[in-house]
Amino acid sequence: MLYIELFIQGLIQGSTYAIIAVGLTLVYGLLRVLHVAHAGLFTLGAYLGVILTNQTGSLTAGIFLAAIGSGVMGMAIYRLVYEPILNRPPHVALIASIGLYIGMEELFRLVFGPFGLSFVSAPLQSVVVFFDIHLRACQIITMITNIILLGILAWISQRTRIGIGWRATVDDPEISACFGIDPVRVRYLVFFMGSALAAVAGVLVALLSNLVEPTMGAVPSYKSLAIIVLGGLGNVTGTLIASLALGIIEAFGTIYVGNLLDRDAIAFAFLIVVLMIKPTGLFASR
Amino acid sequence: MTTILLAEYVTVKFGGLTALDNVHFFVEDGEFLSLIGPNGAGKTTLLNAITGVVAPVRASLKLGGDDISNLPTHKRIRMGLALTHQIVRPFTSMTVLENVAFAAGFKKVKRILSSLVTFNRMQEKNKATKFLEVVGIEKYKDQKVSKLPLGVLKRLEVARALAVEPKILLLDEPLAGLNSQEAGKLADTIKGISKLGMTIVMIEHNLSEVLRISDRLHVLDNGRDLAEGEPKSVMKMPQVRAAYLGG
Amino acid sequence: MGLYEISLATVVGINIILAVSLNLITGYCGQISLGHAAFFGIGAYTAALLAKIGWPIYLTLGAGFLLAGIVGAVIGLTSLRVREDFLAIVTMGVAFLFVGIVRQQEFLGGEMGISGIPSPGMEKPAYLCLVLIFVLLAILFSWYVKRSWMGYAFDAVADDEQTAKTLGLDVKSYKITAFAMGTAMAGLAGGLYAYYTRFIIPDVFGFIQSITILSMVAVGGIGSIFGVVLATIFLSLMPEIFRFINDYKLLLYGILLFSVMRFAPDGLAGFYKMLYKKRNLR
Repeated sequence: MLYIELFIQGLIQGSTYAIIAVGLTLVYGLLRVLHVAHAGLFTLGAYLGVILTNQTGSLTAGIFLAAIGSGVMGMAIYRLVYEPILNRPPHVALIASIGLYIGMEELFRLVFGPFGLSFVSAPLQSVVVFFDIHLRACQIITMITNIILLGILAWISQRTRIGIGWRATVDDPEISACFGIDPVRVRYLVFFMGSALAAVAGVLVALLSNLVEPTMGAVPSYKSLAIIVLGGLGNVTGTLIASLALGIIEAFGTIYVGNLLDRDAIAFAFLIVVLMIKPTGLFASR
Repeated sequence: MTTILLAEYVTVKFGGLTALDNVHFFVEDGEFLSLIGPNGAGKTTLLNAITGVVAPVRASLKLGGDDISNLPTHKRIRMGLALTHQIVRPFTSMTVLENVAFAAGFKKVKRILSSLVTFNRMQEKNKATKFLEVVGIEKYKDQKVSKLPLGVLKRLEVARALAVEPKILLLDEPLAGLNSQEAGKLADTIKGISKLGMTIVMIEHNLSEVLRISDRLHVLDNGRDLAEGEPKSVMKMPQVRAAYLGG
Repeated sequence: MGLYEISLATVVGINIILAVSLNLITGYCGQISLGHAAFFGIGAYTAALLAKIGWPIYLTLGAGFLLAGIVGAVIGLTSLRVREDFLAIVTMGVAFLFVGIVRQQEFLGGEMGISGIPSPGMEKPAYLCLVLIFVLLAILFSWYVKRSWMGYAFDAVADDEQTAKTLGLDVKSYKITAFAMGTAMAGLAGGLYAYYTRFIIPDVFGFIQSITILSMVAVGGIGSIFGVVLATIFLSLMPEIFRFINDYKLLLYGILLFSVMRFAPDGLAGFYKMLYKKRNLR
């Protein structure tokens, strides 16, 4: 049973990574920018989620409003930060993004205090027993939400005009512009969706640990950068598989190599080993 | 005449798309060969496969009898190839002269450790000035490249390629983007370089200039060889006319 | 100078070596490293452990220099093979791996770090002089590199890798060389730091430290030795002069990094150039 529990824990963690990393990989695909500040939006979402849930008393409302808040903030970051420096060498946007992230993290600390916030009455904490496997309701909800969100995302990118436009813009911005797809609109959409997804992940993580902290974005953000490299930078399917794989490897790794490496270093050990064997990442896009 | 470059079975795939399909291509020593074909025919891809910028699925490449198929780009360049880019790519932090002098110093940067103890740039600057004179832009030599007109930058590409002292000069649409007067002048310059004994392979869409200065044509269409031979007879071939008329 | 000023000057000196070494990688060769502090740490731990078993200072510093450079070359080999963006992420990974590994190893002191590192065998003012000599060497070395053909090649790589390749340059080897040289210098700074504090813990060499070093380079103006040194002095002294900002130090770093990149990507050096040009125009 231990194996199955570990496996499920891994899947929950992995699908959360996926929800965060998908935004990063979308942004990278479009702009070739490593969007570190994405983690700030994840944290922002978590704070918004907790505060609004406490205010309204409804978790659904909290998640929904957090997603919209972070999504709008994501679009603002594109417009005010990245757009003006896209023609500069890549390190400019990367360093700006890191600065922005550190600034956001510190702002959260100064505004909300270093010890974080919790739900007044944390919802969905009851334990469900299923074939001897003990899971909390919030873990099940997290997994279901993640699967639904990824499903919606797949549907949008495969079936809708804007989604096809997004894929075309990643492949060749000039050609897709010729077909009447406005690349700028696609970018706003990507920033909105990616940031909203990160916010949902933030609220769910807050729910799992019943805590939001200023630094909660740091580790997932660095890990999701490792994930998008593993997934072949800009490749959405690769990113999803890499996220799930990492979640599961971490769950088992903590048990078996935990005395050698701490949990957060496993992701990077995995990344460096993979790059040594297959330099293009697990799923090279080309 | 001897064959200086021989490319056989060149096949390149991008994802599921076959960009080049079993192309056979040769260049004679000292000739002026133009590589033509409609958009998307695979001309740039062929040059990129020859220089190693693109990795072919299959290819056998011989330069002056040496097999270069498995060498990285910089080694192929050192064996005697030089390439200009369709969209100009000058080093933007350098002046015109520094751009060419860097290329002329290719021997000085061959060994990393010795490059750390080599300082003198005079000899390369003198050489570079000569190449700038060959293409006629020596008066811009001390300017930063960022504000120069396209015509000068196109010539800079050629001068920089000449500076690595190649056996073959590969030019990717050197005339594109220039008005007809500028294009004609640059075509004359290139023909002049050819007359000095340089072997030249040129991709170009400007057919009137191509026919005016080339010794031989090689036509690609849809990633395949379409025709090859003396310019006037090639242009009379029905398959070439069909390809160009969109048949 | 009192003891306080001497110890402050020593820290600034070590920071200058760090910033100048990262400038070799990021400024000259255009490669972003987000894990520079890990190599700083490798140097510090190497020197500390060897000093504790009785090696003399010149050997421990040399060992830290070499080991950091070797590890740097290996990391460079794995990450510089394919895409430019890999290096940033892999080096960030190295930053986390270093702290992650060190924390779990008993012989490296774990969370508690290494204490009781022997003294460098000289008084504090003399040690400051030693550090300053290395600072001077580091600055002279980067100035020297800039003037050599190696520096010329780095310029070309930073401008446009692909074009540098089509001019016959072995781009990959140059990038690895820049990375190995820069990381080795960071290792040396680490050794100097170990003798200075005589007590090291893993967290000092974490990601935040890497970002701090990167800020010094970015604020100074990527590639400019003068700007980088000036920015390092300013950024190192800032929290000391303005004690009250200590709580806001990171916020300020964040805002500074962000604003410099967003509004003046050429940093202090670019600012100086701009002023100079304007004066000339008049």
